[in-house]
Formats: sequence, structure tokens, C-alpha cells
Amino acid sequence: MIEVHLDSWLRSFGPPSNESVEADSVAHLLDELERRYPRLRFKLRDETGQLRKYVRVFVDGADISGTTGVATLLSGARSIDILHSIAGG
Amino acid sequence: MAKDSKLRVLVGTRKGTYIVEGDARRKQWKVGPRAHAGSDVYHVVADPRHPGDVYAAVNNTFWGPAIQRSRDWGKTWKEIATPLTPNAKARKAQVAAATESLPKWAINNLWHIEPGHPSESKTLYLGADPHLLFRTTDLGESWEGIESINHHPDKPKWSPGAGGACLHTILLDPRDARRLYVGMSAVGTFRSEDGGATWTPTNKGVETPFLPEKFPETGQCVHDVVADAADPDTFYRQDHGGMYVSHDRMDTWVRIGKPLGDDFGFTVGSPSATPGKAYFVRLDGEARVTGEGHFQVHEWTDKTRKWRKLLSPKAFVGHYGVQREGLATDHMDPPGIYVGTTTGQLFISPDAGKTWKLIPFDFPGIHSVEVANSPRA
Repeated sequence: MIEVHLDSWLRSFGPPSNESVEADSVAHLLDELERRYPRLRFKLRDETGQLRKYVRVFVDGADISGTTGVATLLSGARSIDILHSIAGG
Repeated sequence: MAKDSKLRVLVGTRKGTYIVEGDARRKQWKVGPRAHAGSDVYHVVADPRHPGDVYAAVNNTFWGPAIQRSRDWGKTWKEIATPLTPNAKARKAQVAAATESLPKWAINNLWHIEPGHPSESKTLYLGADPHLLFRTTDLGESWEGIESINHHPDKPKWSPGAGGACLHTILLDPRDARRLYVGMSAVGTFRSEDGGATWTPTNKGVETPFLPEKFPETGQCVHDVVADAADPDTFYRQDHGGMYVSHDRMDTWVRIGKPLGDDFGFTVGSPSATPGKAYFVRLDGEARVTGEGHFQVHEWTDKTRKWRKLLSPKAFVGHYGVQREGLATDHMDPPGIYVGTTTGQLFISPDAGKTWKLIPFDFPGIHSVEVANSPRA
């Protein structure tokens, strides 16, 4: 099981605390999160299935947002952090 | 919700929605409910068929676009269904598996929400980027794409404007619910006589100074269009290429802005109490702010074909930007004129431009201004 941590903004759409999810890829992990918390749908990913520009996903502390993205495999992964990035002004 | 006597100015800003409440005399104003803090709100509009209903096109930097609705004049809001790109199902309809066929591109921003014809009490239209038009017939429970626009055969040739590939203008003929008009940047205007099944480009006479061809059929960067309240065949248009009027359902356009010199701008309004008049905010075409060094609104009288400046140069000194949804008029007599600026000023004239007041509140940069609940709304 992978422990998912969401930042405080995202908790208004999703789980109020850390959530355990079993998945073999980031895409499937997000599918499962969205199944449990439908209001998360399209907040993290757009209609094409890609992460939104200012959503950052860290797998065991490594940022995969700008590299392998949702296709990242989660074999052996223990934790995922989903945060919104620095932007705005 | 019952109608009340308040006049409301609905303001969409770079950092949320604001409702400014005024009395029926348009003397006292109070900045009231605020919502969607931090989001770019491109348009806020009331549905005159359902008093109390207000819709907002909310574009959040992080979480993407969403349509929000209030049923109590902006006190509380709820996200309703938001359409997806063509071929995808309505956002709120169901949670589909990841294996569903996904579109190749996403909606970038929601631009304009237009309540439907009075005879179609549950219809709304929505314009979005990239060049998308949607319709709901159940007040936003679900949406259908207008495929004749969304999959238009010329779409691969359509270009965006600086603000994106936005479908920002949606107009309905009050005499015929099947006659629609849309405006897109940088594509131009189109008319449908059959409820959106087919469309005809309507840009004849509108110059494109940014293209090699001076008067192409499409490719115009239309910024805003309004209909004359007394004559639904007459339209006033602020284009990248100047200010225009049409008296034949947009079949042909005549440039009216040349006497002003630089007739660039983004917004235009035409109040119902004074048909034949249109109000433009002329901007410097390069700087995109009021080039005269002060706030100014130009009044066009169609019958006499005359322009009139409404403000003294001493009134509000500065350089102000005004976006395409930045000017609104109410339905009272004399009409009120409301202008929001990109630097957060909200100017109000309760008497067709004779006197002006600056609301004593600095808003975030203003994208849109609309008026709700005036006596004839």
C-alpha cells in the first residue's frame, strides 16, 4: 500500500487525512483516488489525463511531474506527495 | 428566490468574484459578497429568468476551469457540471475509468456564460478556449458540445488572439431563439439561423491589419460585440481592427471609429433605455491603455453618426486598461454605465455618462462587469 499525502488545499476536494492506496502507476493511483473522491477529478489532471501545469507529484520524495508524469511506475514505492507548485502573483 | 430592489454589479477579477450592491437610485454602493478567492474569474452573469441565480466562469491556476453557480445573489456558491472537450462526457456526470477514450487536448479557460432565450428557461450557452461552444438545457446539470463550431472544418486554420483561442461573445436574437451569433479571437463573428446546426461567417467589411489579406472572410480578431436593444438587426463591434456597426444582422460592417483616430479597444455596451447609442472605451493600440492620459468613454449615436466624449480630461487622470467584458450597462432610464479596469477601478455613471463615480474599493484586476436585477432585467 502507498501512503498518499495531499496538501491542505487539495484536502478540500479529497481525503481529510493521509490515504492508503494500492496502485502500480501514478495514473492508476490517481484513478483510485478520484474514484473514492470524485471532486478530485479534473483538479489534478485535465481531460487528456496529464497532470495540470501547477500540480506536483513526488514519489518517495522525487518529483516526477516534469519527467515520467502519470506513467511513472510505483513498484516498491512507499509514499506519494501531491502538492500545488509555486505559482501566481 | 424573490426579486429584491437591489441593483448588483457582478465583477469578475484576477482574484475572485465580487458582488457590488447598490440602491435603486444608484447612489449608494457597497462591496458585498466575495467568492472564488485566488481564481481568475473571466465572467460573472445573472440569469434574469431565475432571479438570484448567478453563474461564474472560474479559471483556477492550479485546478483548472470550473463553472460555479449561486442561487442567492452570490452569498453562497457551488460548482456545477463543467463541460469537457469534445467527445468527453460532462464533468460531473460520472467518474469514468482511466481506460476511457481521452481527448487530445483540454479546455484552457472558460470565457463567457450566456443565459438562453426567455422561451428556453433552462438553456445556457458557454464559450471556452480553444474555440469551443457548449449548451445546456438543464441549467448546467449536463452540457452538449455545439459540434458545428467545436469540429468546424476550418478549425485547424483558426488562430488564437493574445488572450487565447477564446470564444468570448454569444448573442441571442430576442425574436428567434434559433438565431445565434458568436465571436471568437482571432477568427471573427459567425451567425446561425438554425439553433447552432450551421454557421455563416459574418465579417464582411472588417479589416485585419495584422494579416496579409485586408478583408478576409474570417481571421478577424473580434474583441466584443453587442446588439442594439431596440433593433436586434443592429450590432456594435469593437474589433482589433477598429470600431464598427452593422445594420443587417452582421452581414456587412461599416467602420465608425476612424474619426477617433486610433479606434482600438476591447469592449462595447449598448443600453436598452437609449437605443441607437453605444459606448466604447478607446485604448491606445500599442499600449493597450487609455491613451489620452485619463479615463474616457466614447458615446456613439447611430442616428446622427456622431461621437461624443463623456468625461473631462481632469476627471480621472491615469492610464487605464479595460478588457472585453469590462463595460456593462443597466436597463434603467437614464442608463447606468459601469466600467472595470485592469488595475481594479470600478467606474459607475448613473446617468448615461453625465456624472461618474469611482467606487472606493481597489479590486484586483477586473476581467468582467455585468449588471443584475435592474428594474427591467
